[in-house]
Amino acid sequence: MIRKLLTGNGAAAWGARLARVDYIPAFPITPQTEIIETIAHWIGEGRMDSRMTTLESEHSMITSAGAAATTGVRTFTATSSQGLLYGMEMIYTVAGWRAPFVLVNVSRALSAPITLEPDHNDVLAARDSGFLQIHCATCQEVLDSVLLAYRLGEDEKVRLPVIVNLDGFYLSFTREPVEIPDDAKVDQFLPPYDPGETRFRAGDPISQGVAVLGGSQYSYFRYETHLASLNALEIFEEASKEFEELFGRSYQPVESYRTEDAEVIFFMMGSFATKAKDAVDRLRSVGRKVGLLRPRLLRPFPAKAIVRALAGKKGIAVIDQNLSLGKGGILHTELCSALYSMADKPVMVSFIGGLGGRDITREEFYEMVAVTMKAIETGEVPTPRLLYGKEELIQMKGLQSIAKVEQRKGRGKR
Amino acid sequence: MKESSLKSIKDLPSTHVLGPGTPTCAGCGALGAIKIFCDILGEKTVFVNAAGCMTLLTVYPFTPFKGSWIYTAMASAPAGAQGVRDALDLLIRKGRLKPEEDLKVVVLTGDGTAYGMGLSSTSSAIYRGLDFIYICYDNEGYGNTGHQFSAATPHAARTATSKGPEGYQRYKKDLFAIWAAHRPAYVATVAGTEPLDLARKIEKAKDLKGSKLFIAFSPCPTGWYFEPAKTIEVGKLAVKTGVWPLKEYIDGKVAHTKVPLPKGKRPLVEEYLKIQGRFAHLFSPTRNENVLEKIQAGVDAYWESIV
Amino acid sequence: MYRIRFHARGGQGIKTASRILGTAFFLEGYEVQDSPRYGAERRGAPIFAYVRASKKIINERGIINKPDLVIVTDDSLLLLPIAGVLLGVTERTVLLIATDEATELWKKRLNLQGLVLSISTQAAVKGHAGLPLLGAACVGAAAQLVGAISKSALEEAIHDQLQPLGKVIVEESLAAAMTAYDQIEAYAGCTTEREDPSADSYESPNWIDLPFEDAGTSAPYIHAAATTLNVKTGVWRSLRPVIDLQQCNRCALCNSYCPDGVISLDAKGYPQIDYQHCKGCLICLAQCPLHAIDAIPEPGQEGEIS
Repeated sequence: MIRKLLTGNGAAAWGARLARVDYIPAFPITPQTEIIETIAHWIGEGRMDSRMTTLESEHSMITSAGAAATTGVRTFTATSSQGLLYGMEMIYTVAGWRAPFVLVNVSRALSAPITLEPDHNDVLAARDSGFLQIHCATCQEVLDSVLLAYRLGEDEKVRLPVIVNLDGFYLSFTREPVEIPDDAKVDQFLPPYDPGETRFRAGDPISQGVAVLGGSQYSYFRYETHLASLNALEIFEEASKEFEELFGRSYQPVESYRTEDAEVIFFMMGSFATKAKDAVDRLRSVGRKVGLLRPRLLRPFPAKAIVRALAGKKGIAVIDQNLSLGKGGILHTELCSALYSMADKPVMVSFIGGLGGRDITREEFYEMVAVTMKAIETGEVPTPRLLYGKEELIQMKGLQSIAKVEQRKGRGKR
Repeated sequence: MKESSLKSIKDLPSTHVLGPGTPTCAGCGALGAIKIFCDILGEKTVFVNAAGCMTLLTVYPFTPFKGSWIYTAMASAPAGAQGVRDALDLLIRKGRLKPEEDLKVVVLTGDGTAYGMGLSSTSSAIYRGLDFIYICYDNEGYGNTGHQFSAATPHAARTATSKGPEGYQRYKKDLFAIWAAHRPAYVATVAGTEPLDLARKIEKAKDLKGSKLFIAFSPCPTGWYFEPAKTIEVGKLAVKTGVWPLKEYIDGKVAHTKVPLPKGKRPLVEEYLKIQGRFAHLFSPTRNENVLEKIQAGVDAYWESIV
Repeated sequence: MYRIRFHARGGQGIKTASRILGTAFFLEGYEVQDSPRYGAERRGAPIFAYVRASKKIINERGIINKPDLVIVTDDSLLLLPIAGVLLGVTERTVLLIATDEATELWKKRLNLQGLVLSISTQAAVKGHAGLPLLGAACVGAAAQLVGAISKSALEEAIHDQLQPLGKVIVEESLAAAMTAYDQIEAYAGCTTEREDPSADSYESPNWIDLPFEDAGTSAPYIHAAATTLNVKTGVWRSLRPVIDLQQCNRCALCNSYCPDGVISLDAKGYPQIDYQHCKGCLICLAQCPLHAIDAIPEPGQEGEIS
């Protein structure tokens, strides 16, 4: 075991290397590219016994990944944002093939307007696809999650592809100390992939991804895939336990931080959750009973664990780093459905923040607690709040003046 | 190049690899070609299919294939083939698959895919030197959705989306030239209605290393409006009149494997056109001399450029 | 509400036929729903369509499970369980068959309690329009049977739906429909609207908790070769190719040209047809240089459909 500084992308590449992946179909996109560059470098140096094929698009890349997995090799791939969306037809398709492989998505906000920095709308577009989703908050977690993801996806009771998600810039290009486990221990945790009977070889014909006609058959196949996804909750806990025994790091489907006696809980995903941790510590030091709950698994959704952790809480500040246009925060919706049947539900306040990589400041975390406390006291839940300040709008007006937004007036009229 | 062991049609297999009972239309010209591909390629294959008529060859729990199959999508069947090929190579290299368990990887798509949405992934697969066979069954339209025009639809044909008085106004894309420009191992135009020529070409190409691509002319009774019994007649006339040249690209050269009779001796293109409902508007209520001449001139010019 | 189901083979114009009937009802002031049902199967394969008509808003949708009238434009379908012609047919369902056999024979063969009527297929063979004409004749009869459609509405519906196919087809279809309408006059109004059952009691849908099964079982994989052998596409055939081996010179063309691969050669090189799967395209007949292949109508002998 060594401990060294790695970027999130570097940690993802290390995960693939330690998992002894056979095959890496690739396509470059910012901010993911460093992952495939790193792997290409290692293959070139003979450090990985793998093949990398650069495809002509993410759509082809995901097709190729699924096809290789169904042929029986351990497969790894990575993408981001527009790339994930370009491949979306195949994201759904390969999940239906029950092709287990790992796709690292480096979150980046979606076009239009096109941009580089992260939010979670890209990965949430794959929410209903059948891919399992593990969301990471640190570079260490990225490496460890790739290993866990193979255990999870390849398990007989699951057999599904897995997305390991990390935030662009905030993790992808950020170096942190990461423990790189020993090969032998990883081999113990993650044995070679056994495709069983579902692979292509002469003398053993199999048709995969076959069409069906009729809703009854379709219902069966889709619901079985759903049941397999649900199984992943239990498998994740089993694998995590083993992982902890071998490597000393514990991963639960939901991370709870200082929630036990907390009255107000931050509920959010991804690397910004460490900012929330920081705020929790500071608020605790002035006597506020605050905690953080972070779903690590988004699919399957660990509803029971979430309900258990939130029982008896007074208020929740749900922070969505995403926006379902015309509805609001996606996590907020998911949480509402999970808590609906709970007696004495906590008050839930919806915040939209960090879109396109916008920062969420310490003061904003404090303010979210204050707003949530007020809602608890008054029983009046405010409408969803975009984290956006007066100065930001003033700046925007400045930019608009350069863009001559004023001049447009009257142009359309004849 | 060694001479073919297939001297006459009697040398073609007397029993067939592809199973019957598929849901293709009676008289399907595409199926006729695929049957011969399967006969010559044998059972050690994995077909990688794109959306099209032939998606429905395999509808749960039925498959006609004695080998394997996977359904991908219109845009990316060659990428699926890449994944399968790369994986098979890796498994053999790492000793997890015996060499005799290897499979030939065969992409199967219609013209809608091959001439359009799938062109990027095909171009890239050839460019990467992918060792695979590509079969495009060319029924000159989006057959599975009710025969709308595609980039493979010939000039003047009526389709579900070109119902004007002179039918489809654009001209069929030259996919053979596009594919050949990538300098793959092999490209051929074939027809299920010319089984001997087809079987010989598959035999010649199947063990070449690299990309082997086939455009199979596939008369479609349903989309072209002729009786199913006439599929062979339509295909034969396409070759005899010179509408569908049978050719191959190998070692950097294009060669024609069947040359129609010279101009004046070969039947006019209208012999081919008039037995199909999709061209009926060129003959009735009045004969559209202008368009017929234009089509004939196009075919004549092609053959003049060859000789 | 009237609930009417059409059964035909792909390519017989059943969609048009159902739309003519739907249009005629509509012209008579009914709320209407008409829809064809497509599957993977194509020309020659059994397909169906349905029409609902009511004076009230129609909130039902999809397949008609309990029809008041069933129209069959191809009698070979009646012997095919997979065609589902008799699904939900009770003693009050009227069955209208395009057939040249006696209705009594069909009643006996299928053990039917309700009214069975027939339309001759001869009309269709004569005209330019071919098989779609049979659909028009059936619609004419159906219009009379429901007792709610006037000749003028029927005529207008035929014009409305068939105009794009040209004047000849419109006129021939009109003639076929009107002839059938008149022929079946004695049975006018025999098809009646069914009362909807009360919601007081119903059959349980027998829901279960779907058990988890691993991917090897529960993914859309087929772990075997050539399972289409189980699909008897021989039932698509309306004409059966028959080889006269006395005349056959073993040229093997039929074996090469048959797209479905249902012709193979025996040890001596003589062709054999797999009738369980032959779709009846008749390419073999068209291509046989010695005319050693003939076509005979299906069904052949009793029980020999496939």
